This record gives sequence, C-alpha cells and structure tokens, in this order.
Amino acid sequence: MEEEYEILENTVRDFNTKYVDNNSLKLENDTMGKDFVKMLAGQGFFSMTSQAEGGAGTDIKALSIVLENLAKSAPAVAVKTLLSNSFSTAVKEQDVLGAVADGSKSGTVTFSDLLVGKGQNGNLVLEKGRVSGEKEFVVGSDSDFIITLVDSGELVLLKSGFKTGKKHKKLGFRSIGFSSIVVDTEDFTILSKDGRKTMERMYEDLSIPVAAISLGMSEGVSQKALDYAKVRTAFGHYLKDFQPLAFDLSSLVAEMEILKRYFRDLLSSSPSQKEAMFLKHKSLTLAKDISRTSLQIHGGYGYLEDFGIEKFYRDSMALSVLFHSEEKDMEKLSGLVFESKAGFV
Amino acid sequence: MDFELNDEAKEAVVKAREFANKYFTEEVAERSDREEQFPTDIVAISKREKILDFSNPWKVLVTIEELVRKDPGLGISVTISAFGAEIFMFFGNDAQKEKYMNPVFAGQKTLGLGVTEAGGGSDVANIKTEAKLDGDSYLLNGGKMFISNGQIADYFLVLARTTQPPSPEKKHRGLSVFIVDSKTPGFSVNKLHGKLGVRATNTAELIFNNVRVPKENMIGEEGKGFYYIMTFFNISRIYVAAQGLGIAHGALDRLVDYSKKYGEVSETGELKESLQLAIAEIATRVEAARNLTYKAASYLFKFTPNPVVTSMSKYYAADTAVFSTRRAMELMSIHGLTTDLERFFRDAKILDIWEGTTEVEKLIITRMMLKEEGA
Ligand SMILES: Cc1cc2nc3c(=O)[nH]c(=O)nc-3n(C[C@H](O)[C@H](O)[C@H](O)COP(=O)(O)OP(=O)(O)OC[C@H]3O[C@@H](n4cnc5c(N)ncnc54)[C@H](O)[C@@H]3O)c2cc1C
Repeated sequence: MEEEYEILENTVRDFNTKYVDNNSLKLENDTMGKDFVKMLAGQGFFSMTSQAEGGAGTDIKALSIVLENLAKSAPAVAVKTLLSNSFSTAVKEQDVLGAVADGSKSGTVTFSDLLVGKGQNGNLVLEKGRVSGEKEFVVGSDSDFIITLVDSGELVLLKSGFKTGKKHKKLGFRSIGFSSIVVDTEDFTILSKDGRKTMERMYEDLSIPVAAISLGMSEGVSQKALDYAKVRTAFGHYLKDFQPLAFDLSSLVAEMEILKRYFRDLLSSSPSQKEAMFLKHKSLTLAKDISRTSLQIHGGYGYLEDFGIEKFYRDSMALSVLFHSEEKDMEKLSGLVFESKAGFV
Repeated sequence: MDFELNDEAKEAVVKAREFANKYFTEEVAERSDREEQFPTDIVAISKREKILDFSNPWKVLVTIEELVRKDPGLGISVTISAFGAEIFMFFGNDAQKEKYMNPVFAGQKTLGLGVTEAGGGSDVANIKTEAKLDGDSYLLNGGKMFISNGQIADYFLVLARTTQPPSPEKKHRGLSVFIVDSKTPGFSVNKLHGKLGVRATNTAELIFNNVRVPKENMIGEEGKGFYYIMTFFNISRIYVAAQGLGIAHGALDRLVDYSKKYGEVSETGELKESLQLAIAEIATRVEAARNLTYKAASYLFKFTPNPVVTSMSKYYAADTAVFSTRRAMELMSIHGLTTDLERFFRDAKILDIWEGTTEVEKLIITRMMLKEEGA
C-alpha cells in the first residue's frame, strides 16, 4: 500500500481506538451527537470526494480505506461518512459543500429512487418553482440537505423546507435517520435535468465504497469470533478446536482475504464498472455470511447487544438492502458479464 | 400414512389465526419489540381463551406455528408460559403435579427452566450450580443465564449438581432437578436487555444465594437430572421446530404478498424468474421442514420418541427460518426492511441457538444414528 494510504489507515485506527471502540453501541443505536460528527469531519472524512475548498477531491481509494476501517468498529459511522461523501460528488455550491465538509451541516441522497420501482417511494412534484410531496425510505432523513429525484425526472438539491415524516423501522444503523421526508419548498437547485442517469452514476460510484464497508464489517465481526473462539470452552475444549466452527470461520476468512486482495488491487488501478460490481456483490454476501457464523460462535451471548456482534448481523443485511438491490444490481451485472442485455426474464 | 391434520388440529389453527389477527396488531408487536416488553395483557387473554389446549399436543404444535407465523415475539411469549412442564408430567410425583404443574397448565402460574449457565449452555453436564443437603432441605448456590420467563415465572425447574461425578467423563451423573419458588429468599433475577430478536419474550439471569429448597421439591430421583433434561429437550425441540415453521411460513407469506403487489414482471407478463424460483425454494423448504417436524411429533405423541428425527426437525426448521427471512429480505428490498419482516429476520436467529444449537443438534443426529446402528 502506498505510504499516504498507510498513514490514513493508521489515522482511522487511532480514531477508532480513541473515540469509537468504547462507544460503538451508542454510536450505532442511539445518536452520534454533534460533537462526534464534528470530530469525524475534522479528520477530513466527510470531504474526501468533495470539490469544496479544503476538500480532498474525488479520491475513492482514500474514502474506501477510511470506510473499511471505520466499519470494523462501527458500521453506522462508516455509513454516515459514506452519505456525506456521496452527497458531495454531485454538488457544486461551495457554501453547501463547505458546511457538509466541516460537519456543521449534513447531506444525503435518496438512493431508494433507484432501489424500488417508480412511484413506490412516494412522489415529489416540481411545479411553478416549488417542490412538494412526500418521499419514502430516506436514509439520513435527518440531514440538512437532500439530493433527490422529482417525478418529472430532475435531480434536485433541497436546502430547506422539508421535514422528516413517517419513521421507518431500523434494522441497522439506528443512529442515522430513516424516514420519509415531507417537502414543500422553493429553496432548491436543479442539479441535473436527466436526474435518474446522474443518480445512477452516483450509485455506481458507490460500488467500491459500499464493498469497503462490507469488508470492514467482515473483518470486525470475524475478529471478534476468532478472539472469542480462543477463550471460550465447551466440553473441555476451546471453541476453536471444534471442526465445524473452525472450518466454517476459516473458510469465510479465506474468502475475506481473497476479496481484500482484490479490493486493494482495484484501488491501485482504475477498476471497470464490472470489477467494482463483482467486488460489491461478493463483499455484501460475505458480510452477511460471516456475521451469521460469528454470531453463532458466540452462542447466546451473540444474541445480546453487549457483545457487539448482533449489530453486524443487522447492519450487514441493512447495508445490502439500502445500498444494493438484488434484482437490479444482478441484472446490471449479468449484462456486463454477458456483454449484452441479460438476466431480465 | 396420512398427511392431513385431524379436525381438532385444524380447528386449533383457525382459532390461533383468529386470535393472532385480533390481538397481534402491528402496533402491539412493534411496541413490545421496541420496549422489550413482555405482552402481559395478551398472554392473560390467551390463557382466558384457552388458546393452548395442553390436553392435545397436536393442537399445541399447530397453535405455536400459527401464532408465530403472525408475529414471532408475541407468538412465543403466548406459548412459553409452561416451558418445562413436561418434566413434571414425566418425572414429577402426584403432589408436585397437583401443586405446580396443574396451575401452570390451567394458565394460573408461569414456569421457567434454568439449565444454561454463564459458563456454557451446550455442555449441560458442566454446570456449576450446586445443591447441598442441609437438614430437610437443599441449599442452592450458583446462577443461571439467559432464562426465558426469568422475571415473570412463579416457579423454575433448576438443574443443579447434588453429588460430584465419579470421573470427569461421567459429569452427567450427580445432577438433579429442583422446583424453585421465585419468592424464596436468596433468589434474585437480572433482566437481560438488548436482545437481537424475540424481544417481547422475557429473558433474565437467575442468581441463587443460599436458596433453601425443601427436599420434596426435588423431581424424581437424585442424580437423574441430566437424563430428565435431555428427555425434556427431545420434546421441546419439536415445539422449537414449530416456531421455525411459523417464522419461515411468515416470511413466505410476506414474500408472496410482495410479489403480487410489487414483483417485477417480464415481457411475458410473468413474475421474473429469480423471484419465482426463490418463492419455490422457500415454499419447498417450509414443506420439508413441516414434514420432518410432524413426523417427529407423531413419534413423540405416540410415546415412541425418535431423537434423531426430532433433532433433524429442530435443526432444519431453524435453518429454514433463518434462510427464508434472509432471502425474503434480500428480494423484498426496502419493502422488507420497512415492514414486519424486519422483526422476523431478527427473531429467526434465536432458533439456531436455543434448546440446542444447530451444531449440537447435528452432533446428536449422527451420534444417535450410529448408536442405533450399533456402530
Ligand atoms: C433469548 C434466549 C433465551 C434462552 N432461554 C433459555 C431458557 O429458558 N433456559 C435455559 O436453560 N437456557 C436458555 N437459553 C440458553 C440457550 O439454550 C444457550 O444459549 C444455548 O444452549 C447455547 O449455549 P451458550 O450460549 O452457552 O453457547 P456455547 O455452549 O458456549 O456455544 C458456543 C458455540 O459453540 C458451539 N459448540 C459448542 N460445543 C460444540 C461442539 N462440541 N462442536 C461444535 N460446536 C460446538 C455452539 O454450537 C455455539 O455455536 C436461552 C438463550 C437465549 C439467547
């Protein structure tokens, strides 16, 4: 790994040790708090793709390394960082970008526009200089700025005049708002006329960062299982001595290491969309599998939040639903693999 | 061979469905889950309406399945009040049955079973709680972990060591089962918070600090406790399998509803095939798990239990529940995440753990098979 990225990795590790590890349950389930968010921003984590002054510019590699390492301890913190960065790729307004970059304001993108069928996540109408209506399934609905699609197809940046509506169930990332937003505003800008296309590009750009979070979760949860299996005993043996547990976990760790190698390879090249999607697809599946096995190794303790395992079980599934669609992503991937439209019947 | 339920069992299914539709509202289910609150009111109504008819085990089985299909947390809470009662039935004396078992079956009292300890649940014989004879009673010291109904039960059946084993390999000897009244001095509980799922159920740690238990509260013979508990698990695992069927079937219901409402169709007008195949796979697994469970139940209810088939049914139904909730969630996407399937997904995972982990069930299957074959 290049030196600057190694330094970055160490920075995140230190940050985790100081501010995250002892606090991860609260950061996951409760609230991150303004001070913590400012601290994250203070590390430059929110502006890694930002074109704002002081922002690092589009650096998916650095962002991915940060996300991977944050997710090892607190996946919700990684997702919060992802949201800020996905927001800043599409925005040019310096005051908005600056506020998100320094953590005084927050931003999000309504990717549910792409993940569910048209109209299934509510309607926003742009008419006579106003945007109004209700949009469902907004991750980060407690944000100050929201990028969203309106029914007529434009991608707009909402700056005020909206509030959170119906709260949704939160399987994962419970400290991040997840609800509908009720909008009635003139305070917005149009970012793109062909909004869906622009949002699709933004979504595609997330493939490697989302994979990074998945891999970070896999590393975090499997480390806990490895540690536990070395100290817990049953029937006079350490759990690690039992073949079913040792073989299952080792096999998943092997998969994880192979994916990590592929991840690093992609980061040091210019990955194609197909390669990025391969990584995302496999990393999301791995995070779910390895979380299940790691929870199982912990027996009853795995089922309690105190052991910090069950959150990975929830978060790995939440991530694979909120930033991925089995149906749509697989159709796209099949098209890339077959080099023509495929997998649509 | 008859694969049909009899009329009584069919009626029980209808009764359970009506009860669940009436009382397991999303509001109550969501609140009990969020607040980790045992649904005392609904449990009381279920007892009044005799939702569980203990005189007919088939009715109990299908009732569990049907209630859990509507909501696992509430369904299990309603059907777990008599957890452990079969130990009285098979090994208790008449006075114990009269005093403790009958009020539990009549819905007047709640029972809990304390086997697992902080140091281990799979390795039952390795428990550390001790019961020492002191005059006409035993003094219990130690603790139990993850005990369902821990805070609400009136009595517990508790496994404790009464004599040291003859050798480390024979640890399962010298264990006995006691009835402990929750009001006995020296007995205390700590509620466990922050479970992944089944959050409506009540789970606690039990602490015994010189808890005095009268001699007559010992179940059966001294030293036979391990055998009693294992016999009980061979019964209760069938009911856990029924929980698995309920969860898996519940996930299937939701996926089918989703596919009708939102499922994408291809040019032919049919649902896209990936969704069709997923539905078929879950439905097939549910059916296979049900056949295994009903087979295990029919052996047991004829008093010829088959531990191999019982463990197969528990392992397979649990796995099916976890598999089905995961697949349904992946396919329903945000429509799954934002509906009660989210709870089903969290609830399902407990089935891999309680009353014998999946690994332990698989070990039992092979060991019993080999034993039967005289290997
Ligand atoms: C919500 C909840 C409610 C519960 N209710 C009750 C109750 O009412 N009464 C009660 O007594 N208990 C109860 N339990 C406890 C439950 O039965 C135990 O958690 C379970 O038996 C596993 O024990 P453990 O947690 O100590 O895990 P361990 O026994 O420590 O097992 C840890 C892991 O090691 C694996 N393992 C162990 N031995 C082997 C082996 N030989 N080969 C391969 N793998 C092995 C296990 O499968 C598991 O994956 C409850 C638990 C929970 C979470």
